[in-house]
Amino acid sequence: MRRTVATKVEPDAATAGRPLPDDRLKEILYFLKLARYFDERMEALYRQGRLPGAIYSGRGQEGTHVGVAYALEPEDSLFPTHRDLTAQLTKGLELKRVMAQFWGRIDGYLRGRDGNSHIGDWYGHRTYAVMSHLPIAYPVACGAALAYQRAGTGHVALAICGDGATSNGRWHEALNTSSVFRLPVVWVVNNNQFAYSTPNAKEFAVPTIAERGAAYGIPGVRVDGTDVLEVYRVAREAVERARRGDGPTLIEAVSLRWRGHAGHDPAKYVPRELLEHYMLSKDPVKNFEQYLKDQGVVTEEDVTDIQARVEREFEEGHEYALASPFPEPGDVTKGWWVEDGYWVGEPGRAGGTEAS
Amino acid sequence: MATQQVEAGAAGHGAEPRGKRGEDGQATYLIAIAEALWEEMERDERVFMLGEDIGVYGGAFKVTEGFIDRFGPERVMDTPIAEETIVGMSVGAAMEGLRPVAEFQYADFMSSGFDEITTVLSRYHYRAGVPLPVVLRGPSGGGVRASSFHSINPEPWYAYAGGIKIMCPAFPSDAKGLLKSAIRDDNPSMFLEHKWIYRRIKEQVSEDPEFLVPIGSADVKREGSDVSIITYGAMVHKALEASEALAQRGVSAEIVDLRTVYPLDEETILRSIEKTSRALVLYESYRFLGIGTEVAAVIAEKAFEHLDAPVVRLAPPNVPVPFSPPLEDAFLPQIADIEAAVDRLAGW
Ligand SMILES: Cc1ncc(C[n+]2csc(CCOP(=O)(O)OP(=O)(O)O)c2C)c(N)n1
Ligand SMILES: [Mg+2]
Repeated sequence: MRRTVATKVEPDAATAGRPLPDDRLKEILYFLKLARYFDERMEALYRQGRLPGAIYSGRGQEGTHVGVAYALEPEDSLFPTHRDLTAQLTKGLELKRVMAQFWGRIDGYLRGRDGNSHIGDWYGHRTYAVMSHLPIAYPVACGAALAYQRAGTGHVALAICGDGATSNGRWHEALNTSSVFRLPVVWVVNNNQFAYSTPNAKEFAVPTIAERGAAYGIPGVRVDGTDVLEVYRVAREAVERARRGDGPTLIEAVSLRWRGHAGHDPAKYVPRELLEHYMLSKDPVKNFEQYLKDQGVVTEEDVTDIQARVEREFEEGHEYALASPFPEPGDVTKGWWVEDGYWVGEPGRAGGTEAS
Repeated sequence: MATQQVEAGAAGHGAEPRGKRGEDGQATYLIAIAEALWEEMERDERVFMLGEDIGVYGGAFKVTEGFIDRFGPERVMDTPIAEETIVGMSVGAAMEGLRPVAEFQYADFMSSGFDEITTVLSRYHYRAGVPLPVVLRGPSGGGVRASSFHSINPEPWYAYAGGIKIMCPAFPSDAKGLLKSAIRDDNPSMFLEHKWIYRRIKEQVSEDPEFLVPIGSADVKREGSDVSIITYGAMVHKALEASEALAQRGVSAEIVDLRTVYPLDEETILRSIEKTSRALVLYESYRFLGIGTEVAAVIAEKAFEHLDAPVVRLAPPNVPVPFSPPLEDAFLPQIADIEAAVDRLAGW
């Protein structure tokens, strides 16, 4: 599933005026459909009591998740959150191993040490294993970016957090520090208009998050987070800017969370008309599918094929997860220290840094 | 070991230049720490330092004075006053193969980066298998009239988090050897320097670049037969002084210097208790749930049959470190307190 991204963003003759070659556009549609189907099915399993733990639905925000992750090269790192699991799928994580994590199995990326979207695969796909505390990965992204800058690799770190997380002190620390050192980092704020039940107006007293970049000397861009191509374009520009050594960019991607904060939350605090507006006219998956049909990039049959592939992969993933063994209870303390050797030999993982 | 009474700087925090080894080749604790940093920076290009005022200024205590001239501003990195970011940035850099050593101006300010320490640094490897060779270091401890926000012994907070090896050395050689081991270790570590010791204690310290002290191993600093004093940090020096007076009264105290407080070297502690059958646990972190609480529990649990007396703890009360000299003296365990506690134990 690991892909490389075309560096070209500008429309030209070869892409018939479209921003990316057709196979790339189809791939984006695949990721959007995977994101949507995964989210719906996992919620259904959760409601049936067949899925342990928690779920954080990202429905309605897929344009942002897929758009920003698609703008990264495999060596660039992603510092995600609880709600943007599908950004990690777009970065290349294997669906079946993600699902094994949800069921607490040994084949999950974190070997059952964490659940749900608190996942990551650093050695395989350069994604940071999500931690709850918001936005705890922002300072960490500064460090990865610092390492890229020192080594002159041209790699970039991209971190995502929600609108509510921007109220936390370390969000400001990280933006400030990244700008002082001109670090190759992209800050994405996924503004789905709510932090649990709290609306934007109770989280910050400025009209937009993007304009807060000015306080740190960072350009801020506001983009329609339901428009995957717009998000991709803006993210790609920010990534290239960071790669050139021109420092961080703050991207505010605006969408709406269609579902509650987590599986248990009916989200009655979201105004009905707002939700209807977003669901009817700002559906990131439907709108992109329509665009590709209008452009003649996909046929109805192509769309059916993509959907069938997504459903097949989900079923395979589900079976794989349920068949995967649970971790050994006796291993509960292993891996506390590197010298335990617990993680040595894991697929794609090094056991430790080079011995000193 | 030679104990030298040097009054600290005007603020009590010691801002005079770092200086060098004496002509006799002895190094203060502070110089030993600087040597450890210097040697490891020379040895391994992946090692770099970050912190507040450590570059041009050379650090609040001048530990890193002169480093920027040798290693440059990239490897001796002055940061904004942003402790969450200093820790988080160290984590991210370690994930990408660097070996950061972060200086905190005072160990007190580690708590401004608490979440990144106790949530990320401590738990990341267990959860996700990515080693984080990060060292957090800074001056801790009281006794220099620096009051509540510049005197803390924070080791229990971070020992409780787990996943971070915590060292509190008392002597220049141990400081040098342990810091070098910490920088080479693939796990996170916290190296708590004691500011009271910085310029007071000096001794002959190895100049061998491969001189290391193993992490997690305690050391008997004085052999004795009547009572074991299990301690670490500045309290080791108080215990040594007390033991001289005790010896004159015919009471023989054995002093076990933990050196590393987490993980704990239970074996050395228990071996000493088997020998003396009496334990005084002396520590500078708070009495309630301080490091000594765990030491006392280990002794009670694993050496019960060797004990001739109840385990005794001597430690400061759980109040902020006070400023006024009589208050701070009352707060910290004093030599007379140690003698009295040992006498009581020896009477069993
Ligand atoms: C520091 C911290 N405080 C509280 C929480 C509990 N919490 C989890 S998600 C959430 C809302 C987050 O809102 P936002 O940042 O907008 O992200 P979203 O969930 O909308 O994607 C809260 C309060 C947390 N995870 N971390
Ligand atoms: Mg939100």
